[in-house]
Amino acid sequence: MTLILTLASRNLFHDRVRLIATVVGIVFSIVLVSVQLGVFMSFERMVTLMIDHAQADLWIVPAEAKSFEDSSLLNGRERLQALSIEGVAEAVPVVVGFASWRKPHGGALTSILVVGAPATSVGLRPWNVVEGSADDLAQPDAVAVDRSYFAQLGIARIGAKAEINNQKARIAAVTAGIRSFTTTPHVFTSLGRARAYLGIAADKANYVLVRLAPNADAAAVRGRLAAALPDAEVLRPEEFRHRSRLFWLFDTGAGAALLGSAILAVIVGTIIVAQTLYSSTKDHLKEFATLRAIGSSRDYILKVILSQALISAVIGFSMAALIDGVLVKATADAALPIVMTPALTLGLFVLTVAMCAIAAVAAIRVVMRIDPVLVFAQ
Amino acid sequence: MKEIMIEATEIVKVLGDGAGRVEALKGVNLALAGGELTLLMGPSGSGKTTLLSVLGCMLTPTSGTVRIRGRSTSGLGPEELAELRRDNVGFVFQSYHLFPTLTAAENVRLALDVRGDRSPLAQIKAEKALATVGLYHKAKSFPRELSGGEQQRVAIARAIVGDASLILADEPTAALDSENGHAVMELLADIAKNPNRALFIVTHDPRIMPFANRILRIEDGRLVSDRRGERGGGVRTLKYAS
Repeated sequence: MTLILTLASRNLFHDRVRLIATVVGIVFSIVLVSVQLGVFMSFERMVTLMIDHAQADLWIVPAEAKSFEDSSLLNGRERLQALSIEGVAEAVPVVVGFASWRKPHGGALTSILVVGAPATSVGLRPWNVVEGSADDLAQPDAVAVDRSYFAQLGIARIGAKAEINNQKARIAAVTAGIRSFTTTPHVFTSLGRARAYLGIAADKANYVLVRLAPNADAAAVRGRLAAALPDAEVLRPEEFRHRSRLFWLFDTGAGAALLGSAILAVIVGTIIVAQTLYSSTKDHLKEFATLRAIGSSRDYILKVILSQALISAVIGFSMAALIDGVLVKATADAALPIVMTPALTLGLFVLTVAMCAIAAVAAIRVVMRIDPVLVFAQ
Repeated sequence: MKEIMIEATEIVKVLGDGAGRVEALKGVNLALAGGELTLLMGPSGSGKTTLLSVLGCMLTPTSGTVRIRGRSTSGLGPEELAELRRDNVGFVFQSYHLFPTLTAAENVRLALDVRGDRSPLAQIKAEKALATVGLYHKAKSFPRELSGGEQQRVAIARAIVGDASLILADEPTAALDSENGHAVMELLADIAKNPNRALFIVTHDPRIMPFANRILRIEDGRLVSDRRGERGGGVRTLKYAS
């Protein structure tokens, strides 16, 4: 270890109380930031869950549809018009709408989001089916729910019966891991049942999922569809994802609140670290003056201060990462689990180092102005 | 002919301004030769520490010139002065100013580290300097584990490790008892025998006069006497109690 690192680390560990205060500041700040960003990323993923799993090359959506959960309806002619366009192989209607779930044994009604698509064709079928089969949704009254919602829906197993908007429903398939970012469970069913539950006319749908013919030019087909459907919009999946994210993350203010909290956490953490580094530097002022007196350059002293900041960052980040690991595990089955990716972890480390480096500015300003004559003061 | 290690010409230093303006040095002329231990004595407020700071390139004179081994300090900025210090000047302070979190050897090595000397040889040089001051066996001790005299000897090792041509000491025995003060002065006098090194000690302590080759007296910012000490052929006047 170089003498600069030795001096920096020993100065830090010499005053354990101050080091603890510094590390606690960094840990709180980084854990808070990682939770906010982890939830943000989780939210970002979950708001596009249905779009991600739909087998569509293009989406025909009602004009100005904000997100998948938007329950506006198309005018009803889109599917047939789409099928008449060159390059379109399939056009699959999808119905989405909120409904009330009545538990088998009574109790309060539960709000659900019904997702209806043809049960036997590609489009938007339940995935991660752990009991029953997606094809079973073709049976009368059949629905699929995620097992994580069993308690909320008042059911215990496949085959259980309930009511959706006062109409029969029977659990024919169970999925794992299809969670909504709201408290409203998704309930998959066939297109016909969904229309019946939601009271939607047989020719109506919220979306039409378009599958292109092999070798079809997506941009050209999209242009033809857009020209043929002036009252609707034709979006690529990534566009619909982007629009959904914008709506849920920013139009609702939820994402802004998460990012705002994260920024606030960085500011608070920076202030705490700055305060402790500054007071530590003030306490070691005579030592820095001695360094200056024996001829050290300002750069040398700068390296000592920055090394202290870096060591604090590494210790603080390591502890924060451990806590984050526990939180990620603890929330894995929650409605909005905290997501931690390698990129986010790396980003948080860079943020921690940057935060500590910025926090060192006040201390650096003090030592840069230090007068070596201070060594003669008694 | 002894080599002149530092030469100060017509040094004036004004401190403060307005009502607090003080002319701390009023035209000081001084040259220190290698192989000599020079004492600077005088009452409090006479300008001793100011002169030490000017000679050590820590204060820039208001007027006059300082030359260290022929190189003028005039017009040099803080970084150039720091470079001049690390290449030419070693300091010994009254309260040692060792780094409490570094071992004796690390404290000594620091003087080399700030010069960019981080070779494995630096550790050997530091241990050799500690051996010179009789503390090789305390190389791994922290300052808190050393007596005041030992700490001052570590500080001396730090001052000499880089082969500085000028050692400036500010009241090096003031915080020590008679025995340790005597030992430290013996050591500094020994170090001063090197013809490539000049020692300049600011002190109030008359008991260290027997170790001097030369004794200067400053009063009210002016050098008022310059005489040879006992080792320089003068008269021995006071002794450390033995």
